[in-house]
Amino acid sequence: MGVKYPDPKFFKYKDHIDWKKQAKNLKEIGGIVKDILKETDWKDAGKSVADDVKAFAKRASYEASLLQKMSAAERKDFLLNGEKQLGKLYRSGKMATVRREWRGLKDTAADYYEWLRMWGMLLGTFSKDLVPALGGAVHYRWMISYFCCHSFMDKNTLGLRGKALKMHHELIYAIFRYVAENLVLLMKGDEKVGNSTDLSKKVVLLDEMTMAQIMAGFPDLIGIPYQLMPVFLLSEIDQLACEPYIDAVESYGLPSDTCPVPTSECGACVIDALPHLGACFISSSMPCDGSVMASSYTSRRFKDLPTYHLAFPVRYEDESIMDAAVADIKGCIRFIEEQTGAKWNWDAYFAAMKRFNQETAYELQKWEVNQTPYPQLIGPCYELFRKWNYEMDGGIDPRILKTFEKVDRLMKQAYENREEPWRGKMRHRAIVWSVPAHYYANFSNWLANCWGIDVLVEMESLNFTKPLETEDHEEALKDMARLYERMVMRRHTNGGYDHVLTELWRQVEAWKPDIVIMYQHVSCKNMATLNGLFEDQARERGVRLIWIEHDLMDPRTVSRKDMRSKVNEYMRTVMREEPLDPSLVDFEDDASW
Amino acid sequence: MKDLRYLLEFENLLEDADNALVRQAQADGQYAIGYTCYHMPEVLLNVDNCFSTRIRAPRSTSIDIATYYMSNYTCEYARSLLERAIEGGYEFLDGIAGVDACSAMNRCYEHMEILKCNSKPHFFVTHTDVPYKIEEYTIDQVQIQMRLRLLDVMHEKLGTDTSDEALLKAVEEHNEMCRIMTEIGNLRKLDNPPVTGYEFHVLNLVSYCCPTALILPKLKETLEEIKTREPDAKSAFRARVVVAGSEVDDLDFSRLLEEAGALIVGDRYCYGSTPGREVIELNENEDILRQICRHYMKTSECARYMANDKIQQRRDTIDRLAREYHADGIVFEQMKYCDFWAFERPLASHILQEEYGWPVLSIDRSYNVRGSGQLRTRFQAFVEALEIKRIQRAKEVI
Repeated sequence: MGVKYPDPKFFKYKDHIDWKKQAKNLKEIGGIVKDILKETDWKDAGKSVADDVKAFAKRASYEASLLQKMSAAERKDFLLNGEKQLGKLYRSGKMATVRREWRGLKDTAADYYEWLRMWGMLLGTFSKDLVPALGGAVHYRWMISYFCCHSFMDKNTLGLRGKALKMHHELIYAIFRYVAENLVLLMKGDEKVGNSTDLSKKVVLLDEMTMAQIMAGFPDLIGIPYQLMPVFLLSEIDQLACEPYIDAVESYGLPSDTCPVPTSECGACVIDALPHLGACFISSSMPCDGSVMASSYTSRRFKDLPTYHLAFPVRYEDESIMDAAVADIKGCIRFIEEQTGAKWNWDAYFAAMKRFNQETAYELQKWEVNQTPYPQLIGPCYELFRKWNYEMDGGIDPRILKTFEKVDRLMKQAYENREEPWRGKMRHRAIVWSVPAHYYANFSNWLANCWGIDVLVEMESLNFTKPLETEDHEEALKDMARLYERMVMRRHTNGGYDHVLTELWRQVEAWKPDIVIMYQHVSCKNMATLNGLFEDQARERGVRLIWIEHDLMDPRTVSRKDMRSKVNEYMRTVMREEPLDPSLVDFEDDASW
Repeated sequence: MKDLRYLLEFENLLEDADNALVRQAQADGQYAIGYTCYHMPEVLLNVDNCFSTRIRAPRSTSIDIATYYMSNYTCEYARSLLERAIEGGYEFLDGIAGVDACSAMNRCYEHMEILKCNSKPHFFVTHTDVPYKIEEYTIDQVQIQMRLRLLDVMHEKLGTDTSDEALLKAVEEHNEMCRIMTEIGNLRKLDNPPVTGYEFHVLNLVSYCCPTALILPKLKETLEEIKTREPDAKSAFRARVVVAGSEVDDLDFSRLLEEAGALIVGDRYCYGSTPGREVIELNENEDILRQICRHYMKTSECARYMANDKIQQRRDTIDRLAREYHADGIVFEQMKYCDFWAFERPLASHILQEEYGWPVLSIDRSYNVRGSGQLRTRFQAFVEALEIKRIQRAKEVI
């Protein structure tokens, strides 16, 4: 019998919307809008619109002139394979690109089909309980950023053609379906909006990046990563969206050198940007020191939310402390049972972990293909999907297996045909190491489109691949502990330098890149404390590292343009190369999503 | 007040990690085990033929090489230790008892191993795992780790007797030290204490950095001296404060604060006496090692403990110290770039101020604060604010 996920009854629980409060909130919003309208310099706004119209006309005429200048062969190529100058899609000071990419007839048609499919899915999902979802949009500033999820889809598929484009759409569709469903549930359960107490009792909130697998044993409940939608994924869709959180908590006294992820989470507590719902909260020590501390801000904000601190040993290779890890999982299961009245279900857990094992097997096949001279499934959507599947889905949603199957079919066909994801552009094979920033800055895509650097894999994808136990209860708990201990980031940054420093050289051996994109997250102490050793050992081994500073969701520290300039300089001065697409070397996108 | 007899000698002992008493103990055949963190039970390093020395990097200036390795936005304390290690400053150590508690210090130990900063053939660095909360199974975890990753290593590398009898002996000596330091510390509760915060800082630091057996007689003598010491008729200080927060092994910090007019009456920071100088109470029913581990876990005030009961304990401890030692305010300090205390400090500072009613000065600081005009100004301003509050309170009473 097929299992429906998420359980349809979650969407059907009765809402208890306090209409008086909604009216009060709308009145406040109305007042803000009125103030904005009053304070708007209409002359200036008019000028801005006129500028836009002029810019549109100028661009249209420029693009028409380009077409005119093309030879017949070039025009045919343009028609079939799409445009080559992607930098002209950006306009300084604008949030959105000037238009969608022309990918050639076939791929543009496929792309628009996926665009429509995504809209259909989003509208369908939100209409499962539209009122709280709409209500949430006027309560939470961050909800508005989700209106630009199509833009996220576009930027992450920029330049892709053929089967790679289709695969990326499949993956991003699965992620956004999950996002949409969780947004609806968050708003439905939130005290301020839907206030569905029946749903709220079924919700277990999970701390930042805490893996979802434990919830597989509670099929009657739903685990929602608490800060994923209001903070983490939000920042990947719109890099500028977390700045108010960061500013709020820094004004509160937090130093500015801490990682923007826990910083933003704490800031979200300070400005009350997190929905208030749930039977309980699973706080976590993972993945790093900053995350440990952020939980104290959440506990402080939601004093009425019973909290369990799931905190695994750091030296995770040391099996002598496995008992403590297992005891912690058992404690967490007991806690969820006590808080929700639900009972742990081994059958449901094992069924989900069997799926997860199958998904891991598919993942390993991707790695095998990507290690060949003809990598197929590479790029930001794949990287995001891998992370999401490993952490947030964890085999719980049966629909995801179908996504894997479909993508696997496409990948094998593409491999047979020796296709290139970014057609005709691949010059270099790279792997990404350290804390990645590709989503914020659309970096892997840019690397491929501008310089022909194809990122085969990133550090955060290379996690636990051992099949999980699906028969023996005690062994299954041990495997769950091993899995959690090797969650995204933690797998590499915890437990000693061997897991991240020596591991890089092992991966270089396996993937044979000629470049390592070394993200230097300026606030990540764990990685920063190895900078010199990376340099020393890379030199000894003759590995090329391109260091790219960034500060995740705070582009005020390091802008996207500054990040790109590091690669531009390296490629021109060290590699003595010219860009594939000169229009992408220098462009303004500071204000864009 | 008359100078303490051993103060200069103690200050000189703190000028170097490899001080005269450390050298003396090693000449007597003892092994020096360096450590930094309270998560590592000090008493376990004082078993049989070993003695503990809490490592510091006094008189640090340039930390350029360590900055190359660990970057410029990581804990200066960890970088200073690495710099000193690269310079050969910890060649004297026979082992380092490390805990994987914070990433900066863990990486610091790792660098010491990778860069081969110590050439002794038996030299070892341990990386023991420590938990984030206190449960029976996490006490098991620490007990297992201390046995396998520390005591067994000491036995294997240095031939150390790690039997229960040896542990018991170490606890007895440790407790004697704690009683002396607690008695001296309690004198700070008096209206006009016969010991300053700076002096106490010196005494406490030598108790961490020198072999217990060698420093104990001098501390005993110092206690007797302080008991009969005549304080100045009129105190030179204008306010009383408790210092709370992250690691402070820099005497200049206490000097700077007391020069600004604030008498430090309570020290709730790493390398301070709370925690660190509490007597370990043992019973005969339970494994000694387990009791020791539990003692350190329960008394720890480390911000890394994330469970709500420990968070509450941290706030309550500061409040208790401030009340017991009749403080006027609290200086909440944080080593710059320390993630744990970076998050703890603002939240705790607000809560101590708004809910507990304490005036709080919340600061981040460098490892070495000497010559920090900015800090001096902030200390002075805080002392003035405390004075004004006292005057206002007095007016209200009238």
